[in-house]
Amino acid sequence: MRGFGDYNPIAVFVSIMSCAGIAMFTLNPVMITLSLVGAVSLWFVRLGTHSMKSHLLYAAMLVVLPLLNMLMSHQGATPLLVINDNPITLESLVYGVLSAAMLVSVLYWFRSFSRIMTSDKILYLLGRISPRLALIVSMALRFIPHFGRQAKKIDNARRVMGLYREDNIVDSAKGKLSVFSILITWGLENGITTADSMTARGYGTAHRTSFSVFRFRRSDAVLTAATLLLLAGCVCGMAFGGGEYACYPVLSGIPWDVCSLIVYVCYGLMAMLPTIIEAEVKIRWHSLRSTI
Amino acid sequence: MAQLEIHNLSFSYSERAEDTVSDISFSVDKGQFVAVCGATGSGKTTLLRCLKRELTPFGDLRGEILLDGMPVSQLSDKDAACLIGYVMQRPEEQIVTDKVWHELAFGLENIGADQQSIRRRVAEMASYFGIEQWFDKSTAELSGGQKQLLNLASVMIMNPEVLILDEPTAQLDPIAAADFLSTIKRLNRDFALTVIIAEHRLEDIVPDCDRMLLMDKGRLLYFDSPGTAVKDLHSCSELLDSMPSAVRLYNELTPNDGDIPCPLDIRSGHEYISRVFDSRITALSLPEHRHSEHPALQFSECWFRYAKNSPDVLCGLDLTVYSGELFFILGGNGSGKTTALNAAAGLNRCYSGTIRVFGKKLSEYKNGSLYSGCLSMLTQDVQTVFLRPTVREELEEIELIEGFPFDFSAIMDMHPYDLSGGQQQMLALAKVLSAKPRLLLLDEPTKGLDAQSKKRTAELLRFLRSEGMTIVVVTHDVEFAAECADRCALFFRGEIISVDTPHRFFSENSFYTTAVSRMTRGIYTGAASLSDAVELCRANGRRDRE
Repeated sequence: MRGFGDYNPIAVFVSIMSCAGIAMFTLNPVMITLSLVGAVSLWFVRLGTHSMKSHLLYAAMLVVLPLLNMLMSHQGATPLLVINDNPITLESLVYGVLSAAMLVSVLYWFRSFSRIMTSDKILYLLGRISPRLALIVSMALRFIPHFGRQAKKIDNARRVMGLYREDNIVDSAKGKLSVFSILITWGLENGITTADSMTARGYGTAHRTSFSVFRFRRSDAVLTAATLLLLAGCVCGMAFGGGEYACYPVLSGIPWDVCSLIVYVCYGLMAMLPTIIEAEVKIRWHSLRSTI
Repeated sequence: MAQLEIHNLSFSYSERAEDTVSDISFSVDKGQFVAVCGATGSGKTTLLRCLKRELTPFGDLRGEILLDGMPVSQLSDKDAACLIGYVMQRPEEQIVTDKVWHELAFGLENIGADQQSIRRRVAEMASYFGIEQWFDKSTAELSGGQKQLLNLASVMIMNPEVLILDEPTAQLDPIAAADFLSTIKRLNRDFALTVIIAEHRLEDIVPDCDRMLLMDKGRLLYFDSPGTAVKDLHSCSELLDSMPSAVRLYNELTPNDGDIPCPLDIRSGHEYISRVFDSRITALSLPEHRHSEHPALQFSECWFRYAKNSPDVLCGLDLTVYSGELFFILGGNGSGKTTALNAAAGLNRCYSGTIRVFGKKLSEYKNGSLYSGCLSMLTQDVQTVFLRPTVREELEEIELIEGFPFDFSAIMDMHPYDLSGGQQQMLALAKVLSAKPRLLLLDEPTKGLDAQSKKRTAELLRFLRSEGMTIVVVTHDVEFAAECADRCALFFRGEIISVDTPHRFFSENSFYTTAVSRMTRGIYTGAASLSDAVELCRANGRRDRE
């Protein structure tokens, strides 16, 4: 019973990146609609309808960007009206709508991505590439907040000892500076202990491996394979001219030939797969729970 | 055959310097539990580090260390890392990575173990050490005790044959420390793991260890079973001070005639007193404690929480500390002691209730006037106080108060971070006192200190009180409180439950009390500190031997 977000990070990475990647290279209304529906529905199915405020920005983008494009760009052959000798064209309106929708859909893919990919999942991906790099990032992730907390502690300790005179800006700036300089010393000092602890546990004795708690299960393989197959379908179809669409100089019309149909079907499946997995688990869980 | 043999080990940091460890020989059998004791600067840490090849300091090492008959220097890198495990003092700094599970796996990753075996070992360790609940957490969220347990687990995952621990509980509160030590004992018992541990707090270790290694100035004093090793410690008072209460009592009371065995724990201490000493006089007559009428610090109905939706940490706290008092606040972890102290120092703002310092509300102290000549606080981590590269510069920044009972001249050119815990504490106190506060707040002033430095801190506090200063101390250290407090308070769930003089406080508590009080229970009443017990025993005299 795993939702889409609980799949192995590799599977999640491949899936979301393929969806967003294809969306970035097309203006075809069908594909952009599919991308937008897939991305937004994944977000809602995963996280529900709370924090609705955060969606306002994206809704506003959908309205404002086309308007701006219409006012700025006067390309296109079909004027709707003319303001101050500047034609407002149908093409620039459609272009604005499509590119805004594309942008919003990609942003939603990445929003879900950053929610799903917590730091340890990112590290897992890095560890595949370089175990050493993964270790450095992991240490940095521990150390940077640690540094911040210590700075706060030192600041507090100085304050309650009466070492700041709060009414003097120069004095307190000087104080903050010396806090910073001691922080460096403190960091190096503690670094020695950390280094000792690392060598004591055999750092550098052998070729490092990278362990992770994430297992690559069969379902991960299935999802990844499916995504890659669909991606290949999309790319091939597009290479043979499927799903091509242009706004300027005149709207080219949505193509419905065989190639394009293959692209639509492949991309549609790919974009909806995360939502389907997520929703299926939710529904199954719902019915299973009623039997507990 | 002995598992670990040390032959004539000497170490000096440079050819010219004096030996830090000189001519030490001993051998440890598999599964033995060895406690290493000695005052600060006696060379304990250096000795332990010499046993772990990777951590041996640079310098001149002579003598031989054999592990299962093989010189340690000839082990392969991987074996040297795995066979001897080493846990250090500070829990936070030993942690390398940001996630608990990653930290556990770190050692195995280093030696290039494959996924499947790492997965199995990590799971084993996590369930043995009870880490499963916080397996996915990031290491920053853990408490000190959990951090140290994680450090232990991530050393144990390498399957060491010898485990070396250098004051592992110095930074932990007593409950976490006891937990940690019982885990060590369990490892020792369950897996016949050889343990060599250096500790300040010997109360929990001495009764259970097989061998004690007593060190003084780099030399081996005794290496023997605990009953024999601690029997006659008159000659080295520094070492004696760090021993369990029963041992100290025995050494104070029994002239060196040797036919009575030395008690090591509370139970045998109790037996020793009741068998050897009379109990005609059951209590000391003590002068009633009188406090002045002027309140120095007053909490009235204080409520505090850290965030809007978090639980209350202070729940209607009411407390009055009178001027000139040495007041101790005791209580469990997370009971809100430190929060209350921070509130008094103006670092936490109560959402309801008032705090008055010398009769004036906190909010009426404007522009830091609270901190000039009125109130000062020393936070728990004394390292946070130092900002300069040498002790000299630290002291130039401030004005040392008159009669400060510590001489800094020997350590003037050292970096504050290189000082021992006790020296750091003294320097930090000197800095805090330079603001000439009338009310001094101290958070865990004895954390990580050896017996000698504790004694010195107690002396300093008494001196300050005699100068008329009011001192509020938050601590876990019941022994320290029993020794210096005028009044003690028990903090529980955000409020004060009881306030009393230490004699009554500790004799009425049955669990939250000193070792001496538990040892004399049923024989004498009101004995809280060692000196009380010694006085009572002397007053009663020995029983006539039948």
